[in-house]
Amino acid sequence: MSSRLKRKLGDLGVDTSSSRANESFCLIGTPLPPLEKSRDTGEFVPLWKQDVRDEKGRRRLHGAFTGGFSAGYFNTVGSKEGWAPSTFVSSRGEKAKQKVARPEDFMDEEDLQELRDSRKLVDTADEMDLTGGAMPGVDEPEKDSIAATLQASLLPPPTESVGARILKKMGWRIGQGIGPRITLRQRRMQDYELSSGSKAPSDLADVHDDHEEAQKHTYARRDTKLLLVDRKDNSHGLGYSPGMGLHESLGVKGGKGVSAGPNLAAGFGLGALNEADEDDLDVYDGGLHHNRRREAYDIIEHNDDDTVRIGSKSERAKKSQVRPASSTSYFRDGQPVLVGFVLSDKPVAEDRLFPLPDVPKGWAPDPRRVWDINNKENIGQRVAPNIPGKWDSRISADERGSLLGETPLPSGPRSVFDFMSQKDRQRLQNIAAGKAQVQAQPPAAPASVPLPPETIRIPRTEPHVAQAALRGFQPFASDPAKQSRYNSYLHSQLGEDSAGPPLQPLPDQRTDAFNKEVEDYAKAALLFKPISGAMAGRFTSAAVVEHGPMIHEGLHTPSAEEMERKEVEERKKEEESISPKAHAARMGMYGPLTRETTPWQPAKLLCKRFKVKDPELVPETPEDTAAVPPASEWEQQKQEFAASTSTGGVGIGGGAKREGPRDISNIGLGEDEDQGRDTLTYQRPAMDVFKAIFASDDEESEDETKVEEEEENISPPQILPAEPSIITESTATPSASTSTSLVLGRNELVDLNTFKPTFIPREGKAKKEKDKERGRDKEKKEKKKKEKRAVLSFAMDEEGGEETVLPKPKKKKRKDQDNRRDDDDDGMWVEKPAPEAVNVLMFAPPPSSAESAESTAGGGPPKGRKRAVDFM
Amino acid sequence: MAPSRGPQQLARSLHASLDNHKGPVNVARYAKGTAKYILTGGQDRTIRLWNASLGTEIKVFAAHGYEVLSISVAHDNAKFASSGGDRSIFIWDVATGVTTRRISGHMGKIHAVEFNEDATVVASGSFDSTVRLWDLRSQNRQAIQVLDEARDAVQTLHVGSTTIIAGSVDGHVRTYDLRKGELRSDYIGHAVTSVVPTQDNQTYLVTTLDSHIRLMDATTGKMLNDFTGHSNEAYRCRACFGHGEASVICGDEKGMVWEWDLLDAKVLPPNPPPKVHQKVITWTEHHPTDVNEMITSSADGTVKVWRHPESD
Repeated sequence: MSSRLKRKLGDLGVDTSSSRANESFCLIGTPLPPLEKSRDTGEFVPLWKQDVRDEKGRRRLHGAFTGGFSAGYFNTVGSKEGWAPSTFVSSRGEKAKQKVARPEDFMDEEDLQELRDSRKLVDTADEMDLTGGAMPGVDEPEKDSIAATLQASLLPPPTESVGARILKKMGWRIGQGIGPRITLRQRRMQDYELSSGSKAPSDLADVHDDHEEAQKHTYARRDTKLLLVDRKDNSHGLGYSPGMGLHESLGVKGGKGVSAGPNLAAGFGLGALNEADEDDLDVYDGGLHHNRRREAYDIIEHNDDDTVRIGSKSERAKKSQVRPASSTSYFRDGQPVLVGFVLSDKPVAEDRLFPLPDVPKGWAPDPRRVWDINNKENIGQRVAPNIPGKWDSRISADERGSLLGETPLPSGPRSVFDFMSQKDRQRLQNIAAGKAQVQAQPPAAPASVPLPPETIRIPRTEPHVAQAALRGFQPFASDPAKQSRYNSYLHSQLGEDSAGPPLQPLPDQRTDAFNKEVEDYAKAALLFKPISGAMAGRFTSAAVVEHGPMIHEGLHTPSAEEMERKEVEERKKEEESISPKAHAARMGMYGPLTRETTPWQPAKLLCKRFKVKDPELVPETPEDTAAVPPASEWEQQKQEFAASTSTGGVGIGGGAKREGPRDISNIGLGEDEDQGRDTLTYQRPAMDVFKAIFASDDEESEDETKVEEEEENISPPQILPAEPSIITESTATPSASTSTSLVLGRNELVDLNTFKPTFIPREGKAKKEKDKERGRDKEKKEKKKKEKRAVLSFAMDEEGGEETVLPKPKKKKRKDQDNRRDDDDDGMWVEKPAPEAVNVLMFAPPPSSAESAESTAGGGPPKGRKRAVDFM
Repeated sequence: MAPSRGPQQLARSLHASLDNHKGPVNVARYAKGTAKYILTGGQDRTIRLWNASLGTEIKVFAAHGYEVLSISVAHDNAKFASSGGDRSIFIWDVATGVTTRRISGHMGKIHAVEFNEDATVVASGSFDSTVRLWDLRSQNRQAIQVLDEARDAVQTLHVGSTTIIAGSVDGHVRTYDLRKGELRSDYIGHAVTSVVPTQDNQTYLVTTLDSHIRLMDATTGKMLNDFTGHSNEAYRCRACFGHGEASVICGDEKGMVWEWDLLDAKVLPPNPPPKVHQKVITWTEHHPTDVNEMITSSADGTVKVWRHPESD
């Protein structure tokens, strides 16, 4: 805006600084195209906006007022000028070349396409046709029929079907047919069959008389038609084809090429977007224009003659011959035979029924008589038990089976006695016998005589149900006698050889009462089996099972001493039954007797919320022995180390729990033989150690753990579980550092405070071993962690153990972070100069005194040492 | 009553009677901090907030569909948790009086609910014999952990800084030590209805349904003292420590408030104490800081604030 304009505007009273005055109408640059490329192609478009385009993208349908079908400038037939009649060209000189004009010459590409489609075999995707590719068609107009057939029989199809490929592998060649070669006569017959579709007359071969040379050869079989049966995927009746014309429905079948598809009425009224309706079908179409279906859109349908010729078997031939015959046959009442069925020429044989012979009065079946007549000679030798009359009267099926030595069929127990052991049965019999003898004396005796087993019905309970019911609720808990009977019933149902006593009626129990009781038991078993699955977890069985009060029938007047006695008894019984724990509690001896201590793993999140370090529970061992396994691990390592090192200067016996003898300079190096071994025994430190180091206080460390795990999955970190932390710890502890440095002073004076053995391998080895490098990185990372961990532990020590540290963990953590940062810096700086002393150290292991010194130094605060161990 | 010089006398004169509850009052708790306010929950499905010194009702929190059995106030007095017969824990915002969260998951009524120290976790003990620990930081619907060691209903809970103590009807007091990763279960032998640890977490007071209150050593599980004389055989009568943990106070089923000396377990006079409630005293709580004040809630529908006469 120029100053003049500004002034002018100011005079007019327009605020020049307003956005309206400063509005710019200039457009600089090209606007980006709208982001409409990503429009959904499947978007709904209303019908009136839809348009029909052909495969080349041309608009094909213009509507009645805009030119109709295929109209307009660009849709003109073939050329810009539209369709023009061919001009006269003298063809006098090219008469020889002249060919007969065929309909195809006058078709445009759409028509040709349609024609091609209508001629297509099976489906194009499958490429099952061996000869289909070489069909004489519009593509090769020059080819005459002979050439086409020749090509069909000789040339390989452009693409081979799977079947053809398999056949070829088996040695088949094109044109050889499938099956054994046949004589000329047979071949003739086959030809006839194929062409006519009916069985060739036997005199066919005799009619043609070829020269005898032809007779001498065998010929390949002709390819036969393969019957393709369409899948029936509609709900029409059998034989009904949808859109059948009037004639067809009357049974007048057209020629061979009757199309099954609907013939649409020619003329107006059906758009590309409409679907063919019943009304659109041309019912008057008598099947005259078969070659062209006027369909709105190509609904690809299989023709009836979708057949493939491939090899032949006689059955196939028969099958294929069946079809044409059926199309013309009718039942006697004039109904056409369904497609695919043949009229049988034989009448249906009726079952003949013979009248029953007259049985003479008084006739009794007596097969013995017949047998007597038939085998007179055998009868004499037969022994008496084999007289057939005895079979049905005396011996039961089981007995017969046992006589024959068959194994008895598994069947449910039939009576109570089956449940009894042999001994019980014996006793029962004895009782019965005794009772029978002294029957007169006790009047109640008859009831106790075992009731006839037929009247006792024991309902069957499935063994698993019984098993479950035994474990489940005790329904008759208030009545121990009944409960025991119930249990014995369940036991009896469990299996044949159960330990429980068999269930039998009580001495004064009637059969029906017993039956009822047992039935009740069966029901109860079904009812009270423990609930399974999801429901079971919802219940907890009570600590004390209440049996309910014992109810005495009738008028009960207990005497005082009886009551007392009972009470004393009960108390005694109770005291016997209660556990020592309860006993101690009753006596008021609370303490170790009433206390149970079990390891309990609090959830990690819970620990986090309570701001408590996750206790690391060793699953098997109780808490106080948790520190033991690492120690034993060390012992093992120590032994291994002793075995591996040849240098004798290393004294192992110094520290009992300390792992000193490891060559410090060697740690993490390729020469370290124990490296691989350590990975095997490596135990991943508890998660919250990582958390304590890396996670911020509020942050959910879920993903982090994941990352950690992934890292581990990628390459197991090659770590020496015990050593690094110890070393760093010793560096951290002032007294330890002094002592170790003193010791190392003898050894070319490596300052352990700045010396980080961890970082050395990267200098030397990383370039050499590319594949190991990754693992190394991990290792380094892990080492760093270790250091941090060690520092953490150190800090704890400094503050005087965990107990005092815990109340203010946040503060401590921050302090740790500071420490860590310093430490990290140290690590970074140390990495660059590889001290020469280290190289010396590599080959000169520290003397034994170093260990002892180190161990004593490290042994100063025992708690701190333990902490370091804990981190492993 | 003249103020005594020796061990502090129990505040035994009625200062205020809060009787807006329409049924038995199950729980009465002091707010945190200076504890000026009381929260009571009753059988009438409401939780009421009272000013203890004025004896006026401030607010009614009504969302429970069943009786309220337990209340726990968060450390900052901003929210409190309640539970009861509707098997879910309600976390309330005190100021607005609406539930901010309803945690369901228990299969039975929840007898006890307790926050941890900074109200990030709420623990609930239920009739379904489990203790469930819920995270309040996240919106997780699942419990952090389910402690299902109890064999019977969990009646009382205490959540300390590193321990969770649960008392169950099966006669056990289970101490879950988070730091040690250890569960110490002490068998008391009778249904435990309340467990109150001392400040130093070295001992805890167990009320059982055999009319005994026991002072147990938390580290060894030994019994240090046994307080008897009152009657408590059917109801949860929560006992508590007196001021400075010098005495043990418990209301019993007859409506009397008993006080024992902590060390010699003798009933402090008056013995027997006067009957101050018509029905069973369900909850006794001494003011956390003030010597003068104590509250009792009873099944007779009243909550009574007790003070020394001269402090009124």
